[in-house]
Amino acid sequence: MITLTAAPYARDHLPTLDRRDTVADAPARQQGTTTTASPDYLRLESLAKRFGETQVFSQIDAVIAKGEFVTLLGPSGCGKSTLLRAIAGLNSLDEGRIVVSGEEITALPPQQRGVGMVFQHYALFPNMRVTDNVAFGLRMQKVPQEERRRRVDEVLRLVELREHADKFPHQLSGGQCQRVALARALVVEPRILLMDEPLSALDARIRRHLRQQLRDIQKTLGLTTLFVTHDQEEALMMSDRIFLMHDGRILQQGDAEALYTRPCSHQAAGFMGHYNVLSGHQAHALLGEVSRAARVALRPEAIYLQLVSDTTPGGELPTHAGPGCRGVIRRRQLLGNVVRYAVECSGIELSVDALNRGSCHLLAEECEVLVFVDLDEVQEIEE
Amino acid sequence: MKRLLPAWLWLMPFALVFVAFQMAPLGWIAVSAFQVEGSWGLGHFQEIATSPFFRQAIWRSLEISLVSSLLGLIIAVLACHSLTRTSGPLRRWMIAFTNMTSNFAGVPLAFAFIILMGANGVLTLALQRVGLIDDFSLYSRTGLIVIYTWFQIPLGMLLLFPAFAGLRADWRDAASLLGAGRVAYWCHIGLPVLRPALAGTFTILIANAMGAYATVYALVNTSYNLMTIRIANLVSGDLFLQPNLASALALILVGLLAMVTLIQQWLLRRSHHVAER
Amino acid sequence: MSQNADLTLSRPKAPALPTLRLPRLSIHTLVVGGVFTLLALPLVATLGYALATSWGATLLPDGLTLKWFLELWSTPRFQLAFARSMLVTLGALVLSLVLVVPVALLAHTRYPRLDTWMNGLVLVPFAVPPVVSSVGLLQLYAGGPLPLVGSPWILIFTYVTIALPFVYRAVANSLRTIDVKSLMDAAQLLGATPFSAFFLVILPNIRIGVQVAVFLSFSFLVGEFVFANMLVGTRFETLQVYLNNMRGASGHFTSALVITLFLFTLLLTWLGNRQSGHAIAKDANA
Repeated sequence: MITLTAAPYARDHLPTLDRRDTVADAPARQQGTTTTASPDYLRLESLAKRFGETQVFSQIDAVIAKGEFVTLLGPSGCGKSTLLRAIAGLNSLDEGRIVVSGEEITALPPQQRGVGMVFQHYALFPNMRVTDNVAFGLRMQKVPQEERRRRVDEVLRLVELREHADKFPHQLSGGQCQRVALARALVVEPRILLMDEPLSALDARIRRHLRQQLRDIQKTLGLTTLFVTHDQEEALMMSDRIFLMHDGRILQQGDAEALYTRPCSHQAAGFMGHYNVLSGHQAHALLGEVSRAARVALRPEAIYLQLVSDTTPGGELPTHAGPGCRGVIRRRQLLGNVVRYAVECSGIELSVDALNRGSCHLLAEECEVLVFVDLDEVQEIEE
Repeated sequence: MKRLLPAWLWLMPFALVFVAFQMAPLGWIAVSAFQVEGSWGLGHFQEIATSPFFRQAIWRSLEISLVSSLLGLIIAVLACHSLTRTSGPLRRWMIAFTNMTSNFAGVPLAFAFIILMGANGVLTLALQRVGLIDDFSLYSRTGLIVIYTWFQIPLGMLLLFPAFAGLRADWRDAASLLGAGRVAYWCHIGLPVLRPALAGTFTILIANAMGAYATVYALVNTSYNLMTIRIANLVSGDLFLQPNLASALALILVGLLAMVTLIQQWLLRRSHHVAER
Repeated sequence: MSQNADLTLSRPKAPALPTLRLPRLSIHTLVVGGVFTLLALPLVATLGYALATSWGATLLPDGLTLKWFLELWSTPRFQLAFARSMLVTLGALVLSLVLVVPVALLAHTRYPRLDTWMNGLVLVPFAVPPVVSSVGLLQLYAGGPLPLVGSPWILIFTYVTIALPFVYRAVANSLRTIDVKSLMDAAQLLGATPFSAFFLVILPNIRIGVQVAVFLSFSFLVGEFVFANMLVGTRFETLQVYLNNMRGASGHFTSALVITLFLFTLLLTWLGNRQSGHAIAKDANA
């Protein structure tokens, strides 16, 4: 199945990784050759789970295509990790079915699901060297030693860790540990790769680098991947599709662009970016007669500021700018390439982002401004 | 402090007491063990080596220590494993209780066992009535192994529990996703990770049992032949005092303890594994 | 992982019942309960015996009474032994603090390598069985220039050395939590002499750690029998030696003594743990 486009890498170094689905000997072996051929590779059907009185998640329905990178995004405690562990078979489910390429795996123990997993804190076996950690799954499958060595070598080359093969986990950095964990999950050629906040224990620089590497490897292998994170930037950067979770439900799903620009509820808006969420009343005060929705979400970069004293016709203003509204800048934060202003306008405090184009363009605190809103970017949301 | 006295002078009182009451006695033993009637020699060691009586004491000390340490370790391992799977309050409570019982040693322990399992002990009578035992004597080898094992269990649990608590649930999850069942998990990950803690605990238990004196003495006085009993009897018994022979036997005991520790260290180094995380 | 196995095996495709988890849990509770029973048996039997009017060849005692405890506590020989134990233990603890605190302080401020040395030295009293040490002590101090055998002094000095691991570790750990050097410097800049700086600034800050060590080594020293019996014996009868010498007495009476001793050490351990609990709570607040 991974006869994907950009596969010189895979063809040269990873011949064995072409033979998928050996783990559970799935009937899906001969299925499609590209991602589009099996749009319902992984199906989650009304999954639900409770711990005692608390409902962890419920009514989880999803269809995930082969080779797709799907992110479960949500604040901590929203049930996303429990859901991931339930798919892995590490937690039981109270209701629902999990189907992988036509085969139901709901009742299978984790050993037989053909699912790989990368954990937040690596979960490397401390008593084994890198090679033995990676080879563990193959050993459990009784793969002959010769083949085992070859496949471990290939996958270590893929994650660029061949020179660390003989080290113990405690001799590696966090980023290296996580790449070993990834190699260990990949080498058994899982049908689905699950990742539970794999980057959140790492520091920012390594996280950015590894993000890219993860995504590249995933694309190269065409791996169906379910990725859990609470970091929206991470989700936006990496995913084909994002499932936004809140209180055990999937609030909204869609690609990064849709999720970022068109949040459907105020929780979704609250979690994506620094949306200004206004009540209908506030929106009316700010935008005039434009909106009658219960709530309105405004991205901070869809709001434009102009000094009251500045009389030049606003060349930067969007074509559908609303009427200018007087406001005062209360605070200013420099975030690097972006300046974030807190502007008080009609009794509402708005968060406004502007590009940082040098000190002469910066607006001072306490100065009076006109606030324009790009009406194309006004997003009406449900209560 | 500079103006009053040189700083190192403040170390002297401590050094003096420690040398006089800890190091000097050891030094005296090391010297006197090789003193035979005023001159240097290995006579005392020869005497011990050829005497069936002393050889029996050494053998019995080793036997009782090994058996009780092994039994204690096994029970402690089972208990610790189960403790990691029980609820938080029960676990904390049990650890506090274990701590309590680990302080219960020596003479009071011997007396408690006499009441429980002596000739007219509650448990002895109960078990005899049920027909589980015919003639159990607390003052025999079996009896001593029972009481030694009893005091090894809490010590073993206190030493092992942190290691068990350090076994991360992640490892088990990762192993199961990679196809390992319960047995494979314990063979390849659980036990190897625990091995240093197990070996260390076993060594401490052996040393604890080899050096134990108060409990046996209170239980059987000098009638059961163990190294510590013989050593004490040679310096404070009623008949002939032979301090130099006692020194030689004491030195053998220290040597055996050192050997156990060295073997453990050697095994640890051979297993490569550096315990961290 | 067994949880999953159990669940999935016992479950067809219908939703699982959460109650299926119960049996697995009880195996472990059973093991813990079994070990608890094993460990509790001698204590419970002794407590029962101490409280029983008489307990012959029956499973349960005939009646309950406090008379054995009252009899024990009003025995002058017991009271004296108790006083002697307190004297020796307190003496040893005070002396060991006086000796060890300066060493720990210097190890932390001036001679960092001393700390490594001390950490090795404190293992010696742990590693050498008391029987072995007492062979040498008996010979060295039976006569000669320092005839201490038979007097409480040899016990005090020996107890100092065996309490060393507890006391040194506790003091050193407490010192590690505060920045001794800066505190001493600050106090001296404000006009304190090194001595007053130590007593007014350092000591109050390590007090809790020291108290924990004192309570724990107290219970450990009160339970010490080997040195007490071999070096001093009946010439200065402490609690443990008294208990051993009471072997001929009524089982109820000795049971009351065993339980009294146990409760006493329990109280000390509890006080020690309570202190360390306070210390932890204080750290968490800070």
